[in-house]
Amino acid sequence: MNGAIHVNNVVKTFKGDVQAVRGVSFDVAEGEFFAFLGPNGAGKSTTVQLLTTLLKPTSGTMEVAGYDVNKDPEKVRLSIGVALQETGIDPDLKGRELLEFQARLFGFSKKQAKERAAELLELVGLTEDADRMSGKYSGGMRRRLDLAMTLVHKPKILFLDEPTTGLDPTNRKAIWKEIKRLNKEEGTTIFLTTQYLEEADQLADRISIINKGQIVATGTPEELKRTLGLDAVVLQFDEEDDAIKAYEAVSSPDYQTERLKNDVTILAENGTSILADVIRKLDEQNLHPAQLNVKPPSLDDVFIQVTNDKKEGAVHE
Amino acid sequence: MNNQQGSFFSDTIVMTKRSIITILRNPLIFIPNLAISMFFLFVYEAGLSGIANLPAFEGANYLAFILPVSIVSAAIGGAGGAGQALVKDLDNGFFSRLLLTPSSRLAIVLGPIIAGMLQLVIQAGLIICVGFFLGLEVAGGALGVVVVLLLTLGWGLAFAGYSVGVALRAKNAQSAQAGTFIFFPLIFLSTTFVPYELIDAAWLKVAASINPVTYLFEAMRAVLIDGFTDTWPIVLGFLVIIGLCAITITFSAVSAKKAVSTD
Repeated sequence: MNGAIHVNNVVKTFKGDVQAVRGVSFDVAEGEFFAFLGPNGAGKSTTVQLLTTLLKPTSGTMEVAGYDVNKDPEKVRLSIGVALQETGIDPDLKGRELLEFQARLFGFSKKQAKERAAELLELVGLTEDADRMSGKYSGGMRRRLDLAMTLVHKPKILFLDEPTTGLDPTNRKAIWKEIKRLNKEEGTTIFLTTQYLEEADQLADRISIINKGQIVATGTPEELKRTLGLDAVVLQFDEEDDAIKAYEAVSSPDYQTERLKNDVTILAENGTSILADVIRKLDEQNLHPAQLNVKPPSLDDVFIQVTNDKKEGAVHE
Repeated sequence: MNNQQGSFFSDTIVMTKRSIITILRNPLIFIPNLAISMFFLFVYEAGLSGIANLPAFEGANYLAFILPVSIVSAAIGGAGGAGQALVKDLDNGFFSRLLLTPSSRLAIVLGPIIAGMLQLVIQAGLIICVGFFLGLEVAGGALGVVVVLLLTLGWGLAFAGYSVGVALRAKNAQSAQAGTFIFFPLIFLSTTFVPYELIDAAWLKVAASINPVTYLFEAMRAVLIDGFTDTWPIVLGFLVIIGLCAITITFSAVSAKKAVSTD
């Protein structure tokens, strides 16, 4: 068993010819932290459901943990842990009961199941609430319990579909800390879908961006920013009139210029190299920005750039 | 670590145990079901027992005649509740979590099906007790009661299997509820209140003879009224119910595989 994922030209068409995934291919190495980004409806959740045996692809092949997902779904399920967007908790069971139940289904003896449940409750900080009905848990507690349930059998690969959506910053941080630990200390492969770009930027070794069912960019966060992102020179003016004049003054076919109220933004491959040119042009017009900043590209810029016509992107999730 | 599958047998037990716990923790759902089947027994006995004087009944005790109707109709609450439990699992995402375990899909659906069946058997036991209190006489004796309970068990599995299958197809409470309406033709297009010979309408005679529930009624009544003098209706009842179980449980296990597919 290994912790790698290989996806080759996978297509998923739903009834009524809705193409949610249109020929996606990618590889995730064992122990890698891989983030799958994309706007709503881009095909992220569908991809997760395909990889985790919940959906069958229309065509294409997938290998997860060394097993063919179409041919050996049981073996795949033994090797992976999956936290879906929606938590999977029976509100009529107590936290501890749910974890023991889950452990029993993964072949633990009663005694082993008890021990593992206690361990996991401690890990996600739910020991004190273990014997309360999970239906009475807060959203954050439910998320933590859900994560604990996915970890019962110490999976080699963890699939996390927007695991922190709707959580407050404290709970979000706690979840991220644990996922990071699993990846760094236990070598668990992480496949994460998220809309929180900074988090993908900070945590992921590699990112793929999916849009309208197709992968539009793949690389390390740095690579993506370098190849696709542009530096932004931001000029802020006290008066909107000045901003309008500045916008006209600095506009040039060499770079992209945008104005939003009092701010003028100039996008260029190398921000510092155009700075002299911009300042000279402003001086000629006797315009003095209140602030001037040069910002390196952010993942947001990359994201917006590659998923540009978002309105058409609503396919099927 | 432990990366191994639990056996089919232990998975089924674990799933069933969890379904039973869930039922017990929602007494407001199962207590009314119990009350309703008792109610049927009382009103049928009170309102209809006079017709047992008709010659076609051959002197049979009407209570013994109507008791199977009370037991079989208890399934709508007891065994039918299995479907409602499943809709709940689908709604709160727990069903996806179950599908992501290595358990067989059959074990996953058998949990609520067996729990629903047990609920029906307990209801049937209580109905029989109340029957005795009202003056029920069972020709087949203690063994007769066991046979009736075994038939009930089969009916419980069959009806729970159907309701789970429908719930997995429908994926929402309303449609699943609508699916259980099949119960009405099953119960009433049959020898529900009078023996086959007394049914007047030709169409109802045809409906009754193709309705599997008729054979269940006949088998139970044979045991309750005539004991084991004529075993053919009893054997036929068991055969029909086993066939029905095979169909509905297969239907629910197959539906489980398709349940998460977003259409």
